[in-house]
Amino acid sequence: MANFERFNPIPILKGLYTTFHSTFFEPVVTVQYPEEKRPVSKRFRGRHHLRRYDNGLEKCIGCALCAAACPADAIFVEASENNDDVRFSPGERYASTYEINMMRCIFCGYCEDACPTQAIELGDQYELSFTERVQAIYTRDMLLDTVDELEKATPRKVEPGAFDRSIPMMENPD
Amino acid sequence: MSKVDKHILLRHHEIPDIANIKTYQADGGFETFRKVVSTKMDPVELKNIVHDSGLRGRGGAGFPTGLKWKFVDDNNWPHYLVVNADESEPGTFKDREIMEKNPWQFFEGIMVSAYAISANDIYIYLRGEFWELAHVLDEQIELMKKEGLLGKNLFGTEYELNIFTHLGAGAYICGEETALLESLEGKMGQPRVRPPFPPAVGLYAKPTVVNNVETLANVSLIVEKGANWYRKFGTEKSAGTKVFSLSGRVKNPGNYELPLGTPFRELIYEHGGGIIDDRPIKGIMAAGASSSIIVADDKALDTPMDYESVPDVGAQLGSASVIILDDTVDMSWLINKTTHFFKHESCGKCTPCREGAFWMTSLTERIRSKKGTMEDVILLEDVAKNIKGKTLCALGEFSTEAVLSAIERFPDDFDAQVNK
Amino acid sequence: MTEVLEEKTTKLVNLTIDNLEITAPEGTLIVDAAKLAGIDIPVFCYHPKMEPVGMCRMCLVDVGMPMRDRDTGETIMEKGKPKIQFGRELQTGCTVSVSEGMVVVGYTEKVKKGRQDILEFLLSSHPLDCPICDKGGECPLQNLTIGYGSGESRFDLEEKQHLAKHVPLGDLIWLDRERCIQCARCTRFQDEIVDQPVIGFQNRGRKLQIVTFSEPGFDSYWSGNTSDICPVGALTTADFRFGARPWEMQASASVCNQCSVNCNITFNTRREAKSGGDLVIKRAMPRQNEEVNEVWLCDKGRFAYTSVKKDDRLTQPLIREGETLVETTWEKALDLVAEKAKEAGKEMVSLVGGRLSNEDYFNINQLTAHLGGKSLLNSEMAGGDLVSQVGLGTGSNIADMGQGDAILIVASDLEEEAPLFWLRVKQAAERGAEVIIANARETRADRFAKYKIRIAFGQETAVILSMAGAKEGIAVEFLADDAKVKAAAKVFSEANNAVIYYGSDGLGLSGSEELSKACAFLLSETKHTGRPNNGLVAVWNKANLQGAWDMGFRPSETLAADLKNAKFAYVVGNDPASKDILEKSLKDTDFVVVQDVRLSETAEIADVVLPAQVYTEREGTYTSAERRVQRFYPAVPAPEMTKPDYKITAKIAKRLDLSLEKIAASLVFLDLAEKVADYAELDYVRLAEVTEQWPIIGRDDLFYGGTSYQNTQGLGKQISPAIETETIKYEAFVPSVLSKKDEFLAVPVTTLYDRGSTMLSSEVLQPRIADPYVILNTADAEKLGVEAGVQISVKLNGKTANVTAKLDDSLAKGIVLVPRSMGIPISDPGSITIKAK
Repeated sequence: MANFERFNPIPILKGLYTTFHSTFFEPVVTVQYPEEKRPVSKRFRGRHHLRRYDNGLEKCIGCALCAAACPADAIFVEASENNDDVRFSPGERYASTYEINMMRCIFCGYCEDACPTQAIELGDQYELSFTERVQAIYTRDMLLDTVDELEKATPRKVEPGAFDRSIPMMENPD
Repeated sequence: MSKVDKHILLRHHEIPDIANIKTYQADGGFETFRKVVSTKMDPVELKNIVHDSGLRGRGGAGFPTGLKWKFVDDNNWPHYLVVNADESEPGTFKDREIMEKNPWQFFEGIMVSAYAISANDIYIYLRGEFWELAHVLDEQIELMKKEGLLGKNLFGTEYELNIFTHLGAGAYICGEETALLESLEGKMGQPRVRPPFPPAVGLYAKPTVVNNVETLANVSLIVEKGANWYRKFGTEKSAGTKVFSLSGRVKNPGNYELPLGTPFRELIYEHGGGIIDDRPIKGIMAAGASSSIIVADDKALDTPMDYESVPDVGAQLGSASVIILDDTVDMSWLINKTTHFFKHESCGKCTPCREGAFWMTSLTERIRSKKGTMEDVILLEDVAKNIKGKTLCALGEFSTEAVLSAIERFPDDFDAQVNK
Repeated sequence: MTEVLEEKTTKLVNLTIDNLEITAPEGTLIVDAAKLAGIDIPVFCYHPKMEPVGMCRMCLVDVGMPMRDRDTGETIMEKGKPKIQFGRELQTGCTVSVSEGMVVVGYTEKVKKGRQDILEFLLSSHPLDCPICDKGGECPLQNLTIGYGSGESRFDLEEKQHLAKHVPLGDLIWLDRERCIQCARCTRFQDEIVDQPVIGFQNRGRKLQIVTFSEPGFDSYWSGNTSDICPVGALTTADFRFGARPWEMQASASVCNQCSVNCNITFNTRREAKSGGDLVIKRAMPRQNEEVNEVWLCDKGRFAYTSVKKDDRLTQPLIREGETLVETTWEKALDLVAEKAKEAGKEMVSLVGGRLSNEDYFNINQLTAHLGGKSLLNSEMAGGDLVSQVGLGTGSNIADMGQGDAILIVASDLEEEAPLFWLRVKQAAERGAEVIIANARETRADRFAKYKIRIAFGQETAVILSMAGAKEGIAVEFLADDAKVKAAAKVFSEANNAVIYYGSDGLGLSGSEELSKACAFLLSETKHTGRPNNGLVAVWNKANLQGAWDMGFRPSETLAADLKNAKFAYVVGNDPASKDILEKSLKDTDFVVVQDVRLSETAEIADVVLPAQVYTEREGTYTSAERRVQRFYPAVPAPEMTKPDYKITAKIAKRLDLSLEKIAASLVFLDLAEKVADYAELDYVRLAEVTEQWPIIGRDDLFYGGTSYQNTQGLGKQISPAIETETIKYEAFVPSVLSKKDEFLAVPVTTLYDRGSTMLSSEVLQPRIADPYVILNTADAEKLGVEAGVQISVKLNGKTANVTAKLDDSLAKGIVLVPRSMGIPISDPGSITIKAK
């Protein structure tokens, strides 16, 4: 018989029992990514997108507060004038250039907090990869939400004077 | 010697056609002016007579007239006399009656006053709505020129005097003296920063005295009959008579000239005939729309109407445009009217009045529209308090008087309005 | 800091602000005294350069005075200190002057509540526009709301009033009526400071709004300044609308290169998507220099800073091969240039324009002198050598001129030729300086001139000589008996200090040469030389003509012949071939080298074209008309293959065995300071020195005074005229007579908005640029059957052109004003024929 003080098999058996139990009797918790994907939380901060109003006009008014708030200086915004013939967003101003450098972004969500029209939102998508650095610059077209109907696309011509306020009382102001 | 019985200013009640120059002259009119100019009376003596008489400004501020004249800067020439005939205070219609019914005494008063401050030009600033009156005044001025009462070398002396009328264009703020001067100079009618005050720096930056029509209409008789005569009327600190413009819920509205110190009760019930339908009286606004609303209890009704006593009941005598309110008048309705008035009339120069009047109006509208709550009333009171003391001129200050006094003294009306 | 104001007044008073005991000159306003002490009292309508109006009520403070016994007049004491009685209500700090013993308190609850209330009132009408408003980031209303506001608004959003937004006040300025807080800074600026009340208030109460009274709207050369001083985003400039946020841009110090005032500018730069990611200049803002432009900029300086569009830029050296110019390398180009220059030797000329820097001029002149050629200046105004002799004395500052001083303006429409000089002279006049104007036509400067002498074109020199008392030998009509001239002469000679501004209104090269000599004579006769605020100022029409003269360049009466006879022409920074007569001459020159930024008309006929850098891409110095040398700094990177002018010249020189500095402008300047006597006292590094300036505008004061930029990179230094150290004598002479052969005499005049390259490159100013025109006397036009605004045909110097006719009944008969750079080349007064079409 081995010396009990030098070699105690009980803890080993206990440990092996734990392994045995978890292997055969406990449910499997491994998420088989990419076939299975864990659902994200409600306030998950993933890929940014610029939202639109229900009528299709862009919420982003090109104010660059998101760029100012960004701690990583990842956002570049240039604004331009809107008019009723070529309307992108309600009001006078829209973002004609909007770029986010995804490699600088730390997904903190400060831009979302800073936005006065709740245009930019960090959504659910986290599967972002690039093969070249230049692919990481997400431009306006890549960030804007798509529209369902063609009539709601921007830019478009609108009735004169219908959308003259930049922060209007429109549906879904949430 | 002019015949004066009870009325010093509204003498057409005693001499019906005193508006006829011949009648006026027969009564001894223009004798004072002639004497003052032809004997080359010392202007300082004239100023002293007016000062000793205790005459106070009748436009609303009640500033001692003689004292104002003494502030005129004698190192800066020429001097100007500007007559404030803007009369835009709601409820005030006394100057109009004086100028229409007793014009020559008015003219003589301003002419003697001009001499007293050594001015050669008088400008009568009339509110734009008085254009018919202005035409009449212009004709009367032409007549005086023909009679040798105006123009160069009057009565063989070197003294020259001219009178010009000038019309405003519908702005209450141009009754404020520095805004009036700005308007007269052709600029926007907005008050100036004071100091310096007009007797030092006034029209075209020259020493200018701006006085109300009623004030100056007293001057010729004061100079003729002496300071002590004038002191026989009125009280010790508020000498003379005052034309009270009575209006509102009374049977006989109109102008009543009474000695200062007459109690409200006499004015309202004796002369005014009492309230329409003999209803109970509720409140008194002694100074037109700019007044604090006096609760019309016995103490108030027995208060003498003079510059010292009215503050005891929490108001100012002002221009004595006495508006009577009875129990059919809801105070929330009333202050809605006054805030609309001040919003419309604010010149817009300083922030608290311009923005505050606008804000108060939207609050009173909301309270009246039955969508208001008690919070709105409290907010209205706070907004009014925030305007007080911060404005550039008195318009902003006075726009808050009615509002604050109504909320404080007649809370039931507001309660009823918001809790409907 | 009190030293700044102390020089001007004598009496100081002691007062206490926020428990800090300070001393301030009598008459200082409380807000200014507080700022001197480092305490900021918030303001909106008050601006340190304008009279206070007490309108916004934001500067309310508690003011207390020592109590005095009514009878004895003695100060009542309490615990050893005067008893202070505070006013019942708060008073505005901007309208009250300090007095002895005053106590001002800004930290009491009453004051804090007062500021909060005023902000609440203002915000009850102000729209929630910060995200879309250009002023965000440099907005006093934003800053003061954070500092003193309550944080919550009790005003119902639905009841906020809506007014017109984006209203054009002219082409350059946009007005947003909702944002306006009725502070009247813009209307007061136009009225008080530039005497052009083309905007004003309309209506009253909350409906008080700005309107423009002129056609075209906001017709003023100073409109851009109102957007600087507007405390909110109500007035914004059209060229910078939605350009960028202030914190996103970098600031570079520079100097305006249009006229010869050389106002200090800050260029704001940022990368731009539509330029392919290049760093570009987004806007030009004034930089504070109280001795030059204070905090103002004229609209041309503000909006016309681009001289060449990116697409028109020269980016490679070019060599002619037959009919075409082909790209080549620098080596090949420079080798060829050096070879041809060596061949030409003495028969070479270098011809320079007026916008190169001192370093460029120096190197080019050195090279020319080394070869023995001629250093020529493409300019039609003379007198730079006289300015270097009797220019303004060191330490001059027009802001110090006032009562007892005299300023003479001759042959110059000052506001068109050098707007900031006009403004500074106007302010001197308001301080009591006597301004004398001797012009052949009415100009806007007449409004503040005490002595207006109306001469005829051609009498400019004669009137100056008359004022100097010269009697003998004047063949022209003798003016000295004219009472006005006599009075003006007396005032001028008896003044404590006197400055002459001479321009080129109606003058060409020979006319201005004589005029400058006459001015020098007048100054020396009246002993107004060699001291501060005394001397001669030439109102050049380009930024650095004075520098060109100082470095040795001279205009030539026979420029066409000089070019024709030369074997080698080195044309730098100007486009002579745009004037036909010189184009012909250049075609006869054997070898033409053009060094420029664009393919100009001269470059198209050149043999070698060398790409240079625009001044915003490099460093250097300019010398202003007041002989103030100021540095400018690079704002944007230069295209790869371009080089600064001084470097190109040095590289050519090296191939000709002449060693010139080329690595940095500072080294060239070091060389220059050694070899050019006038510049010996200057140190390139020390030109970047700054001293604290008053009033404090921009920077730490949260933009109360406007959005001009702080000057941190150099106030420049004035160089002394030769007469301070040498004795120079001037003589009277007989002026030439202007002969008039035909019915009409065309005279060259300057207009600020011309058709020069900087104006044509500015998009926002396009609507303000007129089509080519001439101005006729109304009666003359009637005789010809010409109406205002119609096209006429004119013939001048053998060339015909179709232009618009403008009429002026104050113009003398027989005179036709021909603006320079407006499509009709003109250099001297001459005959012109006019035909109605």
